[in-house]
Amino acid sequence: MSDSLQTSPQVPQPSQPPLEPRADVIHDIGYRHYDGARLGRSYATRSLFLLSLRGSFGLGRSIKSKILPMALLAVISLPALIIVAVAVYTKMGKLPLEYPHYLSIMQFVIAVFVAAQSPVALSRDLRFMTLPLYFSRPLTSRDYVRAKFAAMFSAMFILTALPILIMWVGSLLASMSFGYNLEHFAYGLVAAALYALLYSGIGLVIASLTPRRGFGVAAIIALFLISEAVSGIIYGVLTVKGHDHAAHWAIMINPGSLVDSTVTWLFNLRRQGLAGVPSTLGGYLFIAEIVLLAAATYGLLVRRYRKI
Amino acid sequence: MTTISIDRVSRWFGNVVAVNDVSMTIAPGVTGLLGPNGAGKSTLIHMMSGFLPPSSGTVTIDGVQVWKNQQAYRQIGLVPEREAMYDFLTGHEFVLANAELHGLPDPGAAAQRALATVEMEYAQDRKVTTYSKGMKQRVKMASALVHDPAVLLLDEPFNGMDPRQRMHLMELLRRFGADGRTVLFSSHILEEVEQLARHIEVVVAGRHAASGDFRKIRRLMTDRPHRYLVRSSDDRALAAALIADPSTAGIELDWTEKALRIQAIDFYRFTELVPRVAKEAGIRLLTVSPADESLESVFSYLVTSA
Amino acid sequence: MSVITTDNLTKRFPRVTALDRLTVDVQPGVVGLVGANGAGKSTLIKILLGLAPATEGTARVLGLDVATEGGAIRERVGYMPEHDCLPPDVSATEFVVHMARMSGLPAAAARERTADTLRHVGLYEERYRPIGGYSTGMKQRVKLAQALVHDPQLVLLDEPTNGLDPVGRDDMLGLIRRVHTDFGISVLVTSHLLGELERTCDHVVVIDGGKLLRSSSTADFTQVTQFLAVEVTDKQSDPGFDADTALRDRLTGDGLTTVPDGSRVLLVELKGDETYDLVRDAVADLGLGLVRMEQRRHHISEVFSTRDDDTPADLTKEASAHV
Repeated sequence: MSDSLQTSPQVPQPSQPPLEPRADVIHDIGYRHYDGARLGRSYATRSLFLLSLRGSFGLGRSIKSKILPMALLAVISLPALIIVAVAVYTKMGKLPLEYPHYLSIMQFVIAVFVAAQSPVALSRDLRFMTLPLYFSRPLTSRDYVRAKFAAMFSAMFILTALPILIMWVGSLLASMSFGYNLEHFAYGLVAAALYALLYSGIGLVIASLTPRRGFGVAAIIALFLISEAVSGIIYGVLTVKGHDHAAHWAIMINPGSLVDSTVTWLFNLRRQGLAGVPSTLGGYLFIAEIVLLAAATYGLLVRRYRKI
Repeated sequence: MTTISIDRVSRWFGNVVAVNDVSMTIAPGVTGLLGPNGAGKSTLIHMMSGFLPPSSGTVTIDGVQVWKNQQAYRQIGLVPEREAMYDFLTGHEFVLANAELHGLPDPGAAAQRALATVEMEYAQDRKVTTYSKGMKQRVKMASALVHDPAVLLLDEPFNGMDPRQRMHLMELLRRFGADGRTVLFSSHILEEVEQLARHIEVVVAGRHAASGDFRKIRRLMTDRPHRYLVRSSDDRALAAALIADPSTAGIELDWTEKALRIQAIDFYRFTELVPRVAKEAGIRLLTVSPADESLESVFSYLVTSA
Repeated sequence: MSVITTDNLTKRFPRVTALDRLTVDVQPGVVGLVGANGAGKSTLIKILLGLAPATEGTARVLGLDVATEGGAIRERVGYMPEHDCLPPDVSATEFVVHMARMSGLPAAAARERTADTLRHVGLYEERYRPIGGYSTGMKQRVKLAQALVHDPQLVLLDEPTNGLDPVGRDDMLGLIRRVHTDFGISVLVTSHLLGELERTCDHVVVIDGGKLLRSSSTADFTQVTQFLAVEVTDKQSDPGFDADTALRDRLTGDGLTTVPDGSRVLLVELKGDETYDLVRDAVADLGLGLVRMEQRRHHISEVFSTRDDDTPADLTKEASAHV
């Protein structure tokens, strides 16, 4: 660049270059180009899925963000553990309740989890305006929705399948009928998957509408509470008036009972609580509604993120 | 011709001192109020406009206290930084509402005149929501001008404007200054201050750091060597002649620029030395350029020495 | 090879034309983009990233067609948005590693490149602390780092100096120069401040109302004029002496044409090399100090002021409010 005026120093060149094997050297730690692998869209989608899934349980985040999801995992598993403990101790021949029915009792915990964690999955990116950074990369908005939906579904499935798994393991420990329990454990898993599918779809759609986490949480919990209450009132009124079968139509507006009733009817399980379908046609309609709701929420999400 | 005087003014919010013992006089013409983010520029402007009382000291307009003085408010127009405008109004309605708030005898005519001044008549019937940043700024200005104030105070008026909008606003402010109004605008972008105002007031961390023409301010900083870039027909010979004089502290040959970089410790002696020495030695001077007289370096000196 | 080429690129919205038959050819280097406000700028960036279709015309980035090869473009391009885009509760390291993986870098490479890139943009110990506590300047560096972490061939920097104070601004501009000179990455940078672009860019593209106003090298924009700007000090020994008038009279007497330039600067028409000597001798003989003597340059801003139509530019600029 520039040298001083008084002296114009020439860098002294050694007359004979040293021949030792270990030469003195200055390594270049300047900018390096990257010519390694670029794994593209599907890898990026998978990475986003994994990160979001871990994020649903607060893993890799602060202790504070771990408290609620971990507590909910504990809350949903604890009764199952107690049931198992009692069953083993008293040498019951059969679990006191159906696997899917356990989840219907725990609906509130599932709703709290989805209300608390779907905003975590989506609101942050909206609120801190991180989305343009994703979409300036190979990842598309569809990939983003796919990763987030899959992550939320998986998180919910872990939450719902865990107590079912505990119950099944318990049934084995208590030496109950292996075949019966395997079959009903599978029904339980189907119920768990359906809860996960419906709840995460509904939760994510609502969360995607607001960058404010608080609003998202409140809106989701309100939706589940209101739908349960309204469905309960209609059910009650119709039952009192003697329309016992028709009363089951009210279940269509309550996602939790919808899954419970459908699974109970589909696998011909013992009816417990409200669970039940108005008719065979009603059963098919319930299935159709679940499929439709899942598809619609996914479609809405794709639409929501198309224009970013 | 109206003058604002700030006399030993401080303003604190709880324990936070936003403005700390500042005295300055804002005379007719365009003045730039310059300072880093959070230096207290907005607080100063709010006190000048009568929005905020000083915690101590006085702000006067032509000798009359500003705070809680209807008479003074009539002479002041404020263009705030924030954009909380009534989006459901049209530009005209917005300006008219302000004219009515001022209780002007003919608000309609006043609004029309103000909109004409900022050349916004063509869009006055459109809703404010449809305006660009530059248009919003001009409508805000029209509402500040609606009562024909002698003083116009603008808080960061150029924020987010594109070059054409900038130039438009600068022309407007220059015109107001030339008309004899007292115009003060705040900024932390030196480029725009340099283009618009020769007189600057610098605030740093709530203190009044400097006042005047920034080149003159630079010359007052005798504790900093002046840096010069000089090109000539014979750089080495010139360098040899200059280094012999005690007014220079160091000279460097810059190979990439093909020029001399000189540190001068005595500004006046050095500037007289250069042409004289060059003439005596028969060296042709091609460029003599102060390398740190820009507002940028003046500003960074002021900020870092604070 | 051209970094960006557009041919008749047009984007129309129902109420406004954001880009109007834009044809430019951007070569490697640091290229400034100015004047494209609001709709025009964000639309252009979206089109270049292959995220929005053009109404008419074509554009290629790094030789790839934006209409059909958006994915490949986004793999090779980095983007730094104008607005805040950083979550406050994670560290710069975590965030940039995540963004590197979103660009397709394997986990190990993402970590190593993040460490290197954060160092190159000048983030050291802070990198492990949550971003929420960073200064504006540090946040801008993180934004730049996430745009560079996957070693793109081109970065689009949208108003990178926005919100920075003068010192931070200088640092950022220096960093942008280095992105090209040291890292070998081409840069497209937008700014409202023309002086900033003059200092930083090799080439500047000026858009006005969606149309191309001018695209040339910075050297062309800032060519020297045939005027010498001369400024002298007052006489220290005789403060009453009117130095400016004396100098002007002397130079006029020498047969030179002079124009006062508002303040204390005198513009002297350059008639040949002797003009330099005449000025030198005049100042020396009068015993004045020579504050400056430099050839006046043109400025980019002149392309805005020399346009003949003087209709308020906002007529065409309403774009930003609509989109």
